[in-house]
Amino acid sequence: MMDNRTFLIAGIIIALAVGGLAVFLASSNPDGLESTALMVQGQKTLTGDTPSDAEIQEPESAVSYNPPLPDYTLEGYGKSGDLLAMLVGTILAVLVAIGAVKLLMMVRKTDRQD
Amino acid sequence: MHIPDAFIPLPQAAVYWLIALIFIFLSIRWARKEMSEEKIPLIAVLAAGIFAIQAFNLPVGMGTSGHLVGGALAAILLGSPFGAVFILTLVLIVQGVLFGDGGITTMGANILNMGVIGGFVGYYSFQGLMKATKSMPVSAFIAAWLACFIPALACAVEMYLAGTFPLVPGLAAMGLYHAVIGIIEGAITVVAIRLVISAKPDLQSTVIRGAAA
Repeated sequence: MMDNRTFLIAGIIIALAVGGLAVFLASSNPDGLESTALMVQGQKTLTGDTPSDAEIQEPESAVSYNPPLPDYTLEGYGKSGDLLAMLVGTILAVLVAIGAVKLLMMVRKTDRQD
Repeated sequence: MHIPDAFIPLPQAAVYWLIALIFIFLSIRWARKEMSEEKIPLIAVLAAGIFAIQAFNLPVGMGTSGHLVGGALAAILLGSPFGAVFILTLVLIVQGVLFGDGGITTMGANILNMGVIGGFVGYYSFQGLMKATKSMPVSAFIAAWLACFIPALACAVEMYLAGTFPLVPGLAAMGLYHAVIGIIEGAITVVAIRLVISAKPDLQSTVIRGAAA
């Protein structure tokens, strides 16, 4: 039986390892939704390969949001930028999760004191 | 199946946000009741693990790739479909805001598909299958497959309503690709449950109790 702290640290290390490997090994093929978009736009067939120049035509969007690290990359830094993006994302996921639970527990405590 | 902003017109995106917010509210109520200092590591590891593995696209042939979504995994390990809503909402916020993976206006639809539909389909099919088969791997594999496949069909219908995909080709392609991606979902879900339970055997009771409830 692993204690809670060991579990947390081991879990984060595994997540970081998975994210790091993803930078080098993940498939660059479009995902299911993107692939469907390319198919209905006539750029690929249902079961065929995706041509390297295929690009999804997006309708004009009412909003355009510019994320700080678009597509999990830090522009101009190559693979090390991708690794940094995954590191930041994974750590942020941990912090957001812990923060959300702590916040809820704090709110619950104040509720009970009322 | 992260829907970008451009794929759903604003009024429809707002409707999905509204539905998602109702389930987010319910998941917060669930979390306030269920959460304790003791549960924080599992929540944190699930959020980090699901975030990381969602970046790991595996080829599924047909010029397409896919990755674990994790709705079934979170729901089974946390013993509630609201666990999936809670975790997937956090992960989708990080992905959308920081990386532009999934839109901001469409985040409601993404939470609805992957967190709500994925979580509920994954949790309740796991319960039913556990009763029928008594086998965790069989039940978790099929439940996770369904928790990938059904949200993909929902997404195809949303894309049709948005005028982005035609109905039948959209359903056929989304269904076909995610039927294969679902195998990844199933396999990784089984391995991840095994791994977490071997590290924390006390969770065995959550998984089994969930299935017996």
